[in-house]
Order: sequence, then structure tokens, then C-alpha cells
Amino acid sequence: MFDILTAILIAGLTTGALYALATVGLSLVWGSMGMLNMAHAAMLTLGGYSAFTLCTVLGLPVIVGFAGAIVIGAVAGGLLYVLIVRNLLKTDKATFEANVMIATVGIGIALENAILLTYGGQPLKQPISATGSFVLGPVSLPFQNMLIVLVVIALMAVIALLLGKTRMGRAIRATAQNREAAQLMGVAVNSVYFQVLVLSGAIAGICGVMVSSMTQLSPPLGNDPMLKAFIMCVVAGLGNLPGAVAAAFGLALLEAFVQYVAGARWGFPTLLFVVIAVLIWRPAGLFGRVQIRRM
Amino acid sequence: MSASAEPPVLSLSNVVSGYKGLQVLKGISFDIAAGDFVTVVGPNGHGKSTLLKTISGLVALTSGAIRINGEPAPAKPHTIAGLGVAHVPQGDMLFPEMSVLENLLMGAYLAPSKAEVERRLDEVYTLLPKLSDRRDQLASSLSGGERRMVGIGRGLMMGGQILLIDEPSLGLAPLIIEQIYGVIAELSRSGRTILLVEENPARVADLADHLHLLDDGVIVWSGPPAELLARDELLATYLGG
Repeated sequence: MFDILTAILIAGLTTGALYALATVGLSLVWGSMGMLNMAHAAMLTLGGYSAFTLCTVLGLPVIVGFAGAIVIGAVAGGLLYVLIVRNLLKTDKATFEANVMIATVGIGIALENAILLTYGGQPLKQPISATGSFVLGPVSLPFQNMLIVLVVIALMAVIALLLGKTRMGRAIRATAQNREAAQLMGVAVNSVYFQVLVLSGAIAGICGVMVSSMTQLSPPLGNDPMLKAFIMCVVAGLGNLPGAVAAAFGLALLEAFVQYVAGARWGFPTLLFVVIAVLIWRPAGLFGRVQIRRM
Repeated sequence: MSASAEPPVLSLSNVVSGYKGLQVLKGISFDIAAGDFVTVVGPNGHGKSTLLKTISGLVALTSGAIRINGEPAPAKPHTIAGLGVAHVPQGDMLFPEMSVLENLLMGAYLAPSKAEVERRLDEVYTLLPKLSDRRDQLASSLSGGERRMVGIGRGLMMGGQILLIDEPSLGLAPLIIEQIYGVIAELSRSGRTILLVEENPARVADLADHLHLLDDGVIVWSGPPAELLARDELLATYLGG
């Protein structure tokens, strides 16, 4: 029984870490910009393929591949702002949320197809992965799972420090909480939006490497984590970062438990059931606040 | 207003502005010299808040000109803030999920150094000691009066040379209003340039050097507060007595 519980715990924590990573990128952008970035999945895939290209195709060291995925993800986020979001913000702000969602759906599809055309549809192996396990009595901890959890914990700590303790982080939070007031304090809101999308893109890059290291590289790689990230965001309350991380770990553990008890096919329906229940019981999410908007 | 060779700290010339399809300000002109306390009074919905938002850049100028220290004002609010215009908006507009201290630190976002931030923080805590006691409390958990104090404190943290204050008495109990105006009087005595909008001219009678009466987007009367308060026909016509 102990080894089964341990296995569920390890699977749940690893999946939770990946969900948390996908969710943080998405939630950060929504929370500070009111933008649902539907291209986040494709940015995540781009990160995975970037590491593959640098390590497997160009033969560069793993650390370069990992750093490259972060940089390329960040550049993709920056370009998304410069080419699309900035221009949409100049038009009618009342329709920005809908417009940017439609625009990013298009960008996501285009990017995924570009990856399909470049690399083909066959699954590829992510070179950044750890093999072997740490065995302690009846418990076996795969290094890959440990690596993912450690990377995600370290990244969460960095993001928490960035948002909580730095001038840039304060500006991001201020913009998220009251855009006009932030402007009055001297915050260049457009620069903040750019920084947020760059940061979110970098996180997507890391997430792409981590997800593909557990599975395989394929053009729709980001779709499943993105779908789960949406679920976590809705359950936590859109834009609530700590809540999103808590929801990611909690729901991943629940999913792992249900998959073990009732079978793998019941994991996802259970998550959907939780979302529906939360939407009925607390429409603003478990940790969200009810917002009244003047239409 | 004080006569000086220096250009006015703030100068408005035939300012027209408003919102999509709605012209609110219809040609506002006045100057404010350094150290002046100027108040704009008028009924609700006649453009007082829009006037401050236009000066701070939140509402775009349709035509006319705004000059800060003799130079044309830039268009973006964050650039205007950088020129020393500190806007304390109506309804406080605090950052609700930040502590009092973080709200104050946001005021000093453009401060040139950490030492300057500390200096301004000391100044604010001296003037508003309650904020020091509440420094770790979330802004969303404060009372209306405390929120107003944080709004003013945050404006002071900007270290600006012009303080724009939008209806500081709005929605507050009389005792709290008295406290808030006590702080504003203290700021005025310390030589700050203040442009304040208010519905009730009696509240600024002892404070303001000069008063403008705003009605339907135009200034219909200007002069010392005591003079307006003595003009019953103006008070009755524009401010309901």
C-alpha cells in the first residue's frame, strides 16, 4: 500500500509541477493584462523544439539547449507583444479581450503548423532528460521527476521573489490591480505588458522542455498542458498566481489518485467535473474575487 | 496668485477634452504659480474630475494646451508623473492587494534613489502617523478615511511639485473630513502647489488662495473663496445654495 501511495504522490507532484508551470505563465498574462493567451500552448511547444534543435540537431550542450529554450520562448513572447498585442491595445480597449483571444488562436495554429512543417509529425525525443532513479527501500524516485519538481520549485521561488520584492514585480502587480493608478505613479504600462509577455514566454519555454522530457516532442505538445492550465486557472480564479499553483498541485494529485482507483480515462473527466462544480459554487474561482464590470 | 518672473508651474490654455463622443471640458484656461493653493468647485458631473484627469494625462486633450513649468505637457500619464505632477484620484484608486507600505512605495516608483525613498517615507509617516501603524495591512482592508490617507500619502511619495487632489471629502464622515483637510492645510503651509477639486466651497474657504467655479465644462467665475461665499446668487445658481 505504501509503495502505491508513494507512486501516486510522485506522479501527482510531477504532473502538478508541470501544470503549475503552464498555469503560471497563463495566469500571469491574464492577471496583469486581461489577456487570454491562446498561443501559450504553441509557445510551450516552441520551447521544447528549440532545446531539441540546439542539442540534437546542432549538438550543443544540454545547458545551452535549456537556456536557448528560455531565450526563444522569451523572444516569442516579446514578438507577440510588439507585433500583435501592442497594436490591438491601440484600438478599442473594450474589445481587446475578445480580439486578442481570437488573434492568439490564429497565432497558435500558425506556429503549431510551422513546427509541423519544419520537424514533421513524428514524435521526437527530448534530449534534455535525466535517467535513473533514487531508490530508498521500497520507494523509487525517478531522477527525471525529481528534476522537474526541483526546477519548478526553484522557478516558482524566483517568480515569487521577482513579483514580490523587485521594482519590476511591484509595477507588474500594480498594473494588474489598477492600471490607471499605476500609470499615475509613473509606470509605463506598455513596458510592463512587454515584460509580462517576455516572462510568460520564458516560462513557456521551460515548461515545453519539462513536458517533452516526460513525454515526447510533437507539434501538439502544448495543447494538453494548456487545457489543464485553463482548468487550474478557472478553479483557482483567473489571474490568481498562488491560487493557480495550489490548484495545479491539488488537482494533479486528485487526477493521479482517480486514475489509479478508477482507471486512466477517468482522470480528465474528474477535472472537468471539479471545474463545473467550482463554476456553480464559486464562479470567481476558489481563490478569486467577484469582479463587477461596467459594460 | 503670486506675481513672479518664473513661468506658472501649471498653465491651462483653452483646454478641451472629454470621452468618446462627449465633450466635457469646453475651453478651460488658468495658471497656477508655485506654492499656490487653487480649488475648482462645481456641481457633480460638470467636469471637475475630468479636469484633473486631463492634466495628469488619463484623459486625452482634444484641443488647447497644458504647460508644466512653461513646457508643453507630454501626452502619456507616466511621463507627466515624471514631471512632478502627483494626482490623488477620486475613490483613492489604491492597489487593493498590496500593503499600505507597498502602496506608498509605488508612489515613489520614479524616485531617483533608495535614500530619497526613505526620506519621503519618513516625511509621509510624520505627517500621517497612522499609516506607519498600518504599514503591513492590505489596502483593501482599510476604512474609507484610512484609504484616503494612503491615497494622499502615495501622492506625497511621488515627491511631485504639483499635487492634484480629487474630492478628498467624498463619502467620508465629517470628523474624517476634518482630519483630511487638516493634512491638506499642513501640506499647503509647507509650500506645496495644490490644485484641489471639491463640491463644497466652504470646506476650502480658509485654505485656497484662489477658486474657480466650474459649470458644464466652463469656468463661470473666478476669485477668492470668501468672495464666492458672499455671493448668494452664485451659490444658489451653481451649487444649490
